[in-house]
Amino acid sequence: MSWLPLAILAAPLAVAVFLLFFGRRLHHGGDGFATGVMALCFAGSLVVAADVLAGGAGREILGHSVTWMTIGGMNDGSSGSLPGFVLTLGVYLDPLAAIMLCIVTGLALAVMVYTRWYLHGDNLYPRFWWSFSFFCFAMIGVVISSNLLMSFVFWELVGLGSYLLIGFWYFKPAVADDPHYQAMKASYATGILESKLSPADAQLKAFVMNRIGDAGFIAGIALTAWAVIAWHGKHGTPAGDPLAWSAIFKAVEHGAFNEISLLGLSGTNLLTLAGLGIFCGAVGKSAQFPLHTWLPDAMQGPTTGSAIIHAATMVAAGVFLVARVHPMLTPDALLVVACIGAVTALLAATMACVQWDLKAVLAYSTISQLGFMLVGLGSGVASGGYNAGIAHLFTHAIFKCLLFLCAAAVIHACHGHQSLTRVGGLGRKMPVTAFAMGVAVLAILGVPGFSAFFSKDAILVAAQVAGHHGSEHYGWVALVPAVLATLAAALTCYYMARLWWRLFVAPAADSHVVDHAHDPWPSAKLVLIVLALGCLQAVWTLQANPFAVEGAWLDHVIRAKSVGLYASGVEVDHDAIHHAHGGVVSLAITFAAVGIALAWTVFVLLPRRGLNLAERCRTTPPLSWVWALLSRLWFLEYVYDFVFVRILGKGLGRTLAEGDLGTPQRLAALDAATATKKTARFGYSLDGLIDGVAKAFTLPGRAGNLLHSGRIGTYVALAIGVVAVISLLRL
Amino acid sequence: MNEILRLGPDHLAGYLAVAACLFAIGVVACITRRNAVGFLMGVELMFNAAGLNAVAYARFRDAHVAGDGQILALFLIVLAAAEAAVALALVFSVYRSFRDIDLDQTTRLNGTAGSDPAPTVPEAHA
Repeated sequence: MSWLPLAILAAPLAVAVFLLFFGRRLHHGGDGFATGVMALCFAGSLVVAADVLAGGAGREILGHSVTWMTIGGMNDGSSGSLPGFVLTLGVYLDPLAAIMLCIVTGLALAVMVYTRWYLHGDNLYPRFWWSFSFFCFAMIGVVISSNLLMSFVFWELVGLGSYLLIGFWYFKPAVADDPHYQAMKASYATGILESKLSPADAQLKAFVMNRIGDAGFIAGIALTAWAVIAWHGKHGTPAGDPLAWSAIFKAVEHGAFNEISLLGLSGTNLLTLAGLGIFCGAVGKSAQFPLHTWLPDAMQGPTTGSAIIHAATMVAAGVFLVARVHPMLTPDALLVVACIGAVTALLAATMACVQWDLKAVLAYSTISQLGFMLVGLGSGVASGGYNAGIAHLFTHAIFKCLLFLCAAAVIHACHGHQSLTRVGGLGRKMPVTAFAMGVAVLAILGVPGFSAFFSKDAILVAAQVAGHHGSEHYGWVALVPAVLATLAAALTCYYMARLWWRLFVAPAADSHVVDHAHDPWPSAKLVLIVLALGCLQAVWTLQANPFAVEGAWLDHVIRAKSVGLYASGVEVDHDAIHHAHGGVVSLAITFAAVGIALAWTVFVLLPRRGLNLAERCRTTPPLSWVWALLSRLWFLEYVYDFVFVRILGKGLGRTLAEGDLGTPQRLAALDAATATKKTARFGYSLDGLIDGVAKAFTLPGRAGNLLHSGRIGTYVALAIGVVAVISLLRL
Repeated sequence: MNEILRLGPDHLAGYLAVAACLFAIGVVACITRRNAVGFLMGVELMFNAAGLNAVAYARFRDAHVAGDGQILALFLIVLAAAEAAVALALVFSVYRSFRDIDLDQTTRLNGTAGSDPAPTVPEAHA
């Protein structure tokens, strides 16, 4: 069995490489081949998961490692204070990884089957299959990697995969430059569409925003590696990988961070810093505030690609990482995680309420739901939040994938139109899609019997419990996640219900758009129905009673076999959870009922009576201000653009350049404009100062330039000379 | 005579001496050749000198690490092949824009813009 996880990892890579070179020559770009291999991977994942879940309560359930590299510690005995260590490439499977593996491969299979319908006839059809397979390979690597550094490598490959998928239609212009868009501009309700990026810009934005988070991630890895390797060296742990998960947790638990110090920090504070560094990576990848802006733009890719990005791969990787490194997050770090998650959940939910683009609503809802997961994980183990966050990661993957696949069906049926102002009334024409999306919406709303009722409500309960526990130590800040997450849950019910009513029941503004709408191919319909089954609560709990507080199988396996968490003696506070559960459940049901009814009234009932309440709210002053604020995304994009692009990028650079280059013209202008000599002199001296600064930099530059002859031979001689000098000095 | 400096097939010094000569020839070629292809030959000689060193050290080190140097040499061969491919492509590209591969003529990056005659820009389909 030990080869099976490796085979699951390697197969999609092999497919990707093969199709990259030969895909165009195969029938339909090799789609059947890729799908078949993914089906085998899914079957293999199920076997692996069954093995892991049924296995004994061992800590490291399956771990196979090969030596990756040996660093330091050669037998010459001259290495410094750090002892040598070995990095390994291995497979690490606990229930979290095993179930995630099934979700990734299963959803990838579903999306692949669906894409054969969705993208058929596209000119770039063959391209989808190898980039998608590569993406799945990278995510599987993140899931099963045994080592922090290995995880980072696959993490970056996931980024590359999403880059390929987001920029799938790389030749498309930005929406504002599209003549087709210009022609129908008048009928769009909002100006936000005009700011949509071209796919090529969107992929770049996603990549750059993720680099910001990854900078923190790398710093976190370095800090962790320093502390852990030093600890293992000092305490003489025999050969083994110090960056393997269990080794990290062991070192952290025994106070590895007490033995180093940096910037005056040590011990718990430094551990908090390391944890937050790693969390930065998750903020970027999972599109959390303040790095969330790339995800809505990532909608430029094909909708089925978005489905996998939003469900199982790209954004899930961030949450997965936080769950993975959870044992090394201190209470302070957990509070930050929960607060960031809660702020993001609420912020994204408010923005989703006013979006008119079908995919944008879903994009903001993803950001919001990822925030919920982090609230759960940040609430800690004792409140049950860790389990709830992981459970929501799984349930969300299924229903968000389903939502996106339904959106793909709608967009396909409406000839590429995806604005809610134009599409509508599709319920009768696309019954299967309407049904499947309805199930997914009920799931995300948290209606009893559907999956998020199990996971999202558990998160709210956990946030409450953690808030009460933490308020003794942190004061009101500890209550922030619970309050914001509850508000966000209320908004979720409104905007998701709005989406469904608007798409399937409310009449279309533009009937010719929906005239020829129809359900997808039977194979795609089957995918929708199977995923809809995955949205049922019973799948995740195996219990008949949806209101039961505990006893769900998912809870059980995570609790029973998670490494490093429950083992270190943290007990779940069952009493507090029971206490909070009733209130949260009744609140959640009220939210769902009110949200559905409110959205129905505003978007179905009142328009039938000739009253367009949404439009009226948009134009009446006090509410229109709110609308403007939300639809312009809290002005965050503008702030980023202003601060980082205009001031730091263009402004500062250009001012410095002009200080030097624009001198003669500016002097002439000064002479003409100044009435008195005094101001003129001031002007000259100011200009002289700026010029002087510039000259102070250019003169040494010119001197150095003499070496820069442009003759390659000179450079080679110089390089060899420098190396020779350095080695002579060393000797 | 010092043990280290003894020549012959069973001693390290001879191999190192050959490698050093190869390297020196490569360096001289790189510095003096004006033809870009000659320059690349110099680079290849330096690569091979490094590879020869690696194999020679591997032969004379402890048995349990002996494989390292040979593997390194294999890597070097692959790397040199890749490097040659890229470098020849560069030379070709330089030729297309300068109509020349004389390295003393292709000095437009020396920071004194306009000091050398503008290159002949070929037609797009040339």
